[in-house]
Amino acid sequence: MFNYTFQWNQALARLPQMLDGALVTMQIAILSMAIGVLLAILLTGCRLSGIRVLQGFAVTWVEIARNTPALFQIYMAHFGVASFGIHFSPFTSLLIGITFNNAGYLAENFRGALKAISDTQSRAGRSLGMTPVQAFRYIVLPQMLRIAYLPMTNQMVWAILMTSLGVTVGMNSDLYGVTQDLNALTFRTFELFAIAAVIFYVITKVIGLGARLLATRLFRY
Amino acid sequence: MKLPMTLGGLMVAAGLFATSAHADKLDDIISSGTLRCAVVLDFPPMGSRDESNNPVGFDVDYCNDLAAALGVDAEIVETPFPERIPALMSGRVDVGVASTSDTLERAKTVGFSVPYFAFENVVTSNEESGINSFDDMKGKTVGATAGTFEAIALQAQVEEWGEGEFRPYQSQADVFLALSQGQIDATVSTSTVAQANVKSGNFPGISVVGKAPFDIDYVALFTNREEYGFINYLNLFVSQQVRTGRYEELYAKWVGGELPDLSAAGVTR
Repeated sequence: MFNYTFQWNQALARLPQMLDGALVTMQIAILSMAIGVLLAILLTGCRLSGIRVLQGFAVTWVEIARNTPALFQIYMAHFGVASFGIHFSPFTSLLIGITFNNAGYLAENFRGALKAISDTQSRAGRSLGMTPVQAFRYIVLPQMLRIAYLPMTNQMVWAILMTSLGVTVGMNSDLYGVTQDLNALTFRTFELFAIAAVIFYVITKVIGLGARLLATRLFRY
Repeated sequence: MKLPMTLGGLMVAAGLFATSAHADKLDDIISSGTLRCAVVLDFPPMGSRDESNNPVGFDVDYCNDLAAALGVDAEIVETPFPERIPALMSGRVDVGVASTSDTLERAKTVGFSVPYFAFENVVTSNEESGINSFDDMKGKTVGATAGTFEAIALQAQVEEWGEGEFRPYQSQADVFLALSQGQIDATVSTSTVAQANVKSGNFPGISVVGKAPFDIDYVALFTNREEYGFINYLNLFVSQQVRTGRYEELYAKWVGGELPDLSAAGVTR
């Protein structure tokens, strides 16, 4: 029993607002991914460093990021830190939450990628007079990023979808937040969320295709 | 060729008409023996849960009264604010008893009864923000519960002021948590909610500082737009609740204070 008359023009009139929201969503996803990759490389470095404290730090980060809900991480980045008097705007909280999550997952992806790179390669580098950091930077890292490239695009898709959790910390400028606002205003729930779903789908598809195109250029053997 | 087609069309139309002359929603509810109400249980004192997790509140009692009038059992279906309409349209509930403001925009989608309750909105501020009135909120960071009348009105006001920031939070509890933490400087909420939260002691450092100059927020029961039979029944039910003194009784039980008038002066409904 589904008793509803779809009025698409009522919802489509709001499309420009939703597309503005989509831009914010992409902005957050791209920023969180860029920072997340850098952090994940640092975390991987920490794990390889052989220094106990750094290893513990990296492991703790990865464990929390991968084994708690993203919703919880974003919520903590807003309400959690605020109990210590630190106030982030919804945008910043959402960015921190997703970046934290991205870094954790990517660090684990990188660990898997490292296993595919033979140890003898960095030893060969060391025997040529490279420092451990140089061997990591010039020999291991480029291969690691190449192997982990597809999982990274996966994480990018996740980052986009995770932006929808921003509403829990008062975010209303991203695609999902805008849709929620419009829903409260008009009650055109089904039309609005259907349009939002299509926009999400298109964004993730475009990014997936873009990543593949980029890969063919980046990784020519 | 044209005539037979027209005839065929007429026959199809007649067929549709015949099948659409089924029992209406009011009949369906009576014959099913259960009235399913969408109630927001994150909105005390209208709807919440008691210590043993049972739904309680003004809206819960109102749903029970409606079911009793219909001679059926009441079933409370918890629906957060944004899920009220999907719950109705997908047939999970029969009627919304969910403190829903009867805006014209929304009435294009659902059918509203006459108002069964009216809210007045007040400003609650964090004591460190220096906000002592509605106008003091200009340029500050303010918030409200997403999807409510006051959130829509406050967001429009912030846009009109052209400075400051508006943040919608997903639940009443999150709004007051953010307010107490100083994440937002002030909020506009119904006076009932504001008093209850300030009194609860869960949110230190906040106080009610004045009225918000919004229109009175009339809230109505809602069901499918085309169910005139049921809407008609709901209207009579609301009227009977007032006439029999039950409205006053429930108001005293859950809210207290001066009983709000449910009719606007100078116009019916």
